[in-house]
Amino acid sequence: MKKRYWRCFVCNDIHYGIAPPELCPTCKVLHAYVEISAEEARKFLGGGPDTTMARGDFRAAIERFTVGNEFEVNPDAAKVDLLLTGVFENEKNHGFKYCPCRLRTKNWEEDLKLVCPCNFIIHETYKGIKDGECWCGLFVRRK
Amino acid sequence: MARLIMFHGRECPHCKKMLPLVEKLEGESPVRFEKLEVWHDEKNADLMRSFREAIAPKCGNQLRVPTFINTETKDATCGEIDYEKLKEWALRQV
Repeated sequence: MKKRYWRCFVCNDIHYGIAPPELCPTCKVLHAYVEISAEEARKFLGGGPDTTMARGDFRAAIERFTVGNEFEVNPDAAKVDLLLTGVFENEKNHGFKYCPCRLRTKNWEEDLKLVCPCNFIIHETYKGIKDGECWCGLFVRRK
Repeated sequence: MARLIMFHGRECPHCKKMLPLVEKLEGESPVRFEKLEVWHDEKNADLMRSFREAIAPKCGNQLRVPTFINTETKDATCGEIDYEKLKEWALRQV
């Protein structure tokens, strides 16, 4: 099923998915989403003052992302630092925060799976492994 | 001698850990690797992509670094592995 773009007609939240949320998570209005084009979504998302995310903000975002999850950001600060350098280099050179420990295939859909954080829960380096970690080691199972 | 390539990424910590092991192996044996960086060199990246059918089944169905490949037999292994395992794989290729 193809994912499409949706816009909340009340607060302009943008959603990308096969179906819109029933309840808008921001304004809490029911059945508020209308389908829009990718181009229109790009205009909504590309405007305003906060169009880029600094490295420190991304670092804070992934820390918040791990809260309540069974994994955490790797306590190895040097490793995290190197990986974040790679992630930001890849965003600058290739458009997305691709994992520095894999290689994009040049297939759009396939390469979206390499954007950090990726769905590492299904990776053989993490799934069912006591000391599991994502392929690059940015996220590790919480002890 | 077989052409052995180590595909690696400049900001990949696993690659950074494997590079000294590769150099140690080269110092102790006739094994030689071409070390090709793939995130900052599109030609190297394309070469790695050209071996996708050989690499992916050994690497979680993806192109991952580090990857070691024999370009003739297409035998490949990937990831952070210990010295003995790397040595065993490499000596099998020469």
